[in-house]
Amino acid sequence: MKVLHDVSIEMTEGETVILLGTNGNGKSTLIKTIMGIVPPNQGEIIFESEGVQINLVGKKPQEIVNMGITMVPEGRRLFPQLTVEENLYLGAFRREARQNLERNLSYCFEVFPRLGERRTQLAGSMSGGEQQMLALARAIMSSPKILLIDEPSVGLAPILVSQLMTSIKEMKENLNLTVLMTEQNFSQATKIADRGYIIVHGKIEFRGSNVELSGNELVKQYYLGT
Amino acid sequence: MVSIDLLLNAVVAGILIGGFYAAVSLGISVVFGLLDIANIAHPLFVITGSYFTFYLNSNFGLDPILVGLILMPLFFVIGNIVYQSYYHFFEKQGAEPLRGLVFFFGVLFLIEVSIIITFGVDYQLVEAAYLGESLNLGIVNVSYRLFIPFLVGVLLTTGLHFFFAKTFYGRAIMGVSQDSLALSLMGADPVRIKSVAFGIGIATASMAGALLVMILPIEPALGREYIGRVFAVAVLGGLGSVKGALFAAIILGIAESLTATYFGAAWSSGVSFGFLLLVLAVRPAGLFGR
Ligand SMILES: Nc1ncnc2c1ncn2[C@@H]1O[C@H](COP(=O)(O)OP(=O)(O)O)[C@@H](O)[C@H]1O
Ligand SMILES: [Mg+2]
Repeated sequence: MKVLHDVSIEMTEGETVILLGTNGNGKSTLIKTIMGIVPPNQGEIIFESEGVQINLVGKKPQEIVNMGITMVPEGRRLFPQLTVEENLYLGAFRREARQNLERNLSYCFEVFPRLGERRTQLAGSMSGGEQQMLALARAIMSSPKILLIDEPSVGLAPILVSQLMTSIKEMKENLNLTVLMTEQNFSQATKIADRGYIIVHGKIEFRGSNVELSGNELVKQYYLGT
Repeated sequence: MVSIDLLLNAVVAGILIGGFYAAVSLGISVVFGLLDIANIAHPLFVITGSYFTFYLNSNFGLDPILVGLILMPLFFVIGNIVYQSYYHFFEKQGAEPLRGLVFFFGVLFLIEVSIIITFGVDYQLVEAAYLGESLNLGIVNVSYRLFIPFLVGVLLTTGLHFFFAKTFYGRAIMGVSQDSLALSLMGADPVRIKSVAFGIGIATASMAGALLVMILPIEPALGREYIGRVFAVAVLGGLGSVKGALFAAIILGIAESLTATYFGAAWSSGVSFGFLLLVLAVRPAGLFGR
């Protein structure tokens, strides 16, 4: 089945870009395609680093992660039978991340003190909010340059979503990340975004700055109920 | 009247044999518990290790423990090959575990037949100067025939425990069956991780095999006798828990030894399984399962 049609998006270093769309429009599929989890029928995914362009199509997820692109998957995908600490250490599996392990670990516990308190608890036994913190922290442990976050707000109370967005913004600024985040939660996502895209039925229907997104008809139709 | 001598000696013998049971069960605990692979041929890899040890010991006079150490890298490679075949023909195709079971049954018979053709069905034993000696600690008599395998079994378990707890590869092995896609998102290749884990499981079998042939004479069908006991230990300890396998093995060793001493050897395997059922009724995840 064809899910994405003529999708073209780009990000430059240091940006926070959001991909907005309601359920079933292809947000996760796009992220999975970038990560090499779903193979595209055609097209290119170009990653430019230090002046060298690499096409990511055909590469395995682990190869893409090793280039410094990390994904926080939809539904967190933690290792439920491993402890918080073991999950975080696994995040640092790739060689480049191992060198920064201690520094990244203390940074994660600084941003999410809750995780520090629960180091030895099994990931599967934590609340949804804590699990999302762990998923983000585990991704940070891999020392990424680019972070792809798929719908972090799913299943969380509004207050938690708001805190989570603040944490994402804080981490992005402290670690000089480039972030692509998919969301259905328009108002929360635009708080931390530089700009964004709206995806409808697998097509990019609109692109623009936060301000432009807010004034857009599609957004009004989808999110603001007018 | 209960004699203290008899009791103490039975307990000590049980602890010692337990260390050996742990070595035999480690591979099962790792491969079943952490990889979700039903390698029922594991005891046959142990027996293969025993025959290699017997061959190198009787022809070249090599010490059985030394042979065990030499065999470990070789068995690691064999384990890699077996896993890669299993992966390509079953796991990759999304075959249900039951069909994988057929593959490992095949491996089991293949190994057994190869052993019979090569070595015949006679009982074989290894020789080393220290095997006939024993350490006399007052009322307790510790024979090296049991003490050395115990020591090696404990070392093997401890080593593996720290490997899983402290290394990146070890942690990846613990996570791989929980979510292999998530593991690839950590930058690890799940197939490679499983291959390494399977190789480690088979490598422990070679050392366990060397220990086995030090303790008692071997024959090709001996593996079958161990299947039940080995599973009891792995499940009792909590599949996937290396530390659990050691504790369970020692508990089972003591229980068997006491039963054999006071009620006769025929009862001992019944006791293992009675014990197993009892523990599982109370703690389905086993003693150290998560
Ligand atoms: N594994 C799959 N097989 C077939 N269709 C799928 C699969 N995953 C998603 N789809 C379809 O692709 C479309 C986009 O799904 P998805 O990318 O998950 O959307 P979103 O993340 O925006 O909610 C949906 O119509 C869905 O039914
Ligand atoms: Mg989605």
